[in-house]
Amino acid sequence: MCGIAGRILNAPGKVGDDLVELMVAQEHRGSDSTGFAIYGIPRDTGYVLRGMGFDKTSIDSDMDDFRNILKSHGSDFIEDPTFVTNEDSHYCTRMVISDPKDVTRWINDADEITDRFEVQSCGRSLEIIKDVGSSDDVANKHGVRELIGTHGLGHARLATESSVLPNASHPFWARPFPDVAIVHNGQITDYYTWRTKLEHMGYRFLTYNDSELIAVWVSDQMKNGLTMEQALTKSITSIDGVFTYMIAQPDGIGFAKDRFAMKPLVTVQNNGELAAATEEQAVRRVVPDESDIINYDGPSMTDIWGVGNRRAAA
Amino acid sequence: MSDIIIEVGDRHIREINEDIQAACKTGEKIIVRNTLSRHNLGIGLPDGANIHFEGSVGYYCGGLNNGATITIERNGGWGIGEAMAKGHITVGGYAGMSVGAAMLGGTIHVKGDSGPRCGVAMKGGNIIVEGKIGYQSGFMSHSGKIIALGGAGASCADALWEGEVWVAGEVESLGVDVNIIEPSAEDVAEVEGILEPLGLNDSSREWRKMISGQRLWYFESRDANAWLMI
Repeated sequence: MCGIAGRILNAPGKVGDDLVELMVAQEHRGSDSTGFAIYGIPRDTGYVLRGMGFDKTSIDSDMDDFRNILKSHGSDFIEDPTFVTNEDSHYCTRMVISDPKDVTRWINDADEITDRFEVQSCGRSLEIIKDVGSSDDVANKHGVRELIGTHGLGHARLATESSVLPNASHPFWARPFPDVAIVHNGQITDYYTWRTKLEHMGYRFLTYNDSELIAVWVSDQMKNGLTMEQALTKSITSIDGVFTYMIAQPDGIGFAKDRFAMKPLVTVQNNGELAAATEEQAVRRVVPDESDIINYDGPSMTDIWGVGNRRAAA
Repeated sequence: MSDIIIEVGDRHIREINEDIQAACKTGEKIIVRNTLSRHNLGIGLPDGANIHFEGSVGYYCGGLNNGATITIERNGGWGIGEAMAKGHITVGGYAGMSVGAAMLGGTIHVKGDSGPRCGVAMKGGNIIVEGKIGYQSGFMSHSGKIIALGGAGASCADALWEGEVWVAGEVESLGVDVNIIEPSAEDVAEVEGILEPLGLNDSSREWRKMISGQRLWYFESRDANAWLMI
């Protein structure tokens, strides 16, 4: 059992605060780890990265190595990276970099040091913030409530199939595609079959979390030229298991649901805004009034909700 | 004589349910307000209690009902009336997944549609849905009746035991091991008798009565391929 959430605002605003509320309300669905994908006001050039290193005593050497890889791809830090640590051994960082010549090639090289440091999101606007602990723990540690943006995802994890590790938290970035993130509630039963297949195709997995598979699988579909809508539909017959997952992109959020209708999704949609969650009571935290609830309760469902206005003043 | 008002809001669910149980002992009608789609409201209510939930409720409302009359103004989440023994639950709007799961007796009346697996594993009582019942409704129902007046979703009446699914309107598709039989006049009269106190009886309906084909009752692993749907 996990809890997922999505939020779209009709103009940039406190999307971080809303997503934290949606996740606090679903903390009973899993508090092993919590994560957020926030789409801020998009940059014209340069990428925002979020990453995690596994040994905070080696931040300096990790950053030196990471920066050398960046430079070899014609990129560098635009701002000094910022770091968040606590008593745990891992550290989290936010960086802003100039455009590498080729993002796919750069991330492929950057992923050579994932035993020490991994990039967890890359985007003009996407930032994935994830860590072990409850929604309040993660939100307070990383200042998620203060984050401004247009849309985003949230996830509360109850680890059932693999270990609780900070980097095995959701959301997952659909590397190497900038600004694409997924969250998932369910179990993928043909995980190893798909993982082996995708690894043979050259994809790298950073965790044993079955949800990472969805991100990698979606990347492969996008590489083959499928639209988000096509990939969502195809996943229902291609991936085996019980699942409801959401994909976020700069222009919207989509979801797909398995053939057995096991994992719920509830939304309120009005005035171009969306609040989506596993449970209705969570949606009511951000839309407290009685309103028209849409339950996506049937089998084999998909939908996409667009983001209207990404740059209007807050 | 005045109604007892209980406020939900963000109070702890145990405190709310203790207030509801205490109010049931007075014999007065109970109104529960500001429900915010919270889970587990009004569990194990006693015989004779009369309670109304304003707005929408979350999962398992009215579960383990022991004879109370429960009305929910709008929508209910998963497992409304789960394992209830007796009593009457009315859902004004949509009832989520698995309404009446494993119920033993009593009546659940849904004025809107129901989600998937309505009446899953029910062991008695009746579920009446004025709208459409969701995917795989009646799944492994042991006994009792599911009566849908507005059609049924896919995989209807899948893997029934001795439960019955009655549908007026479109059925998207049937589940495995279902027989559709022509109901006798006595059967129809019995169903109309269940609908009559709800003001829903209508002798012009064309019913489809679904019961188990009984082949799954004697499942043999060598026949597994016949049942594989995936």
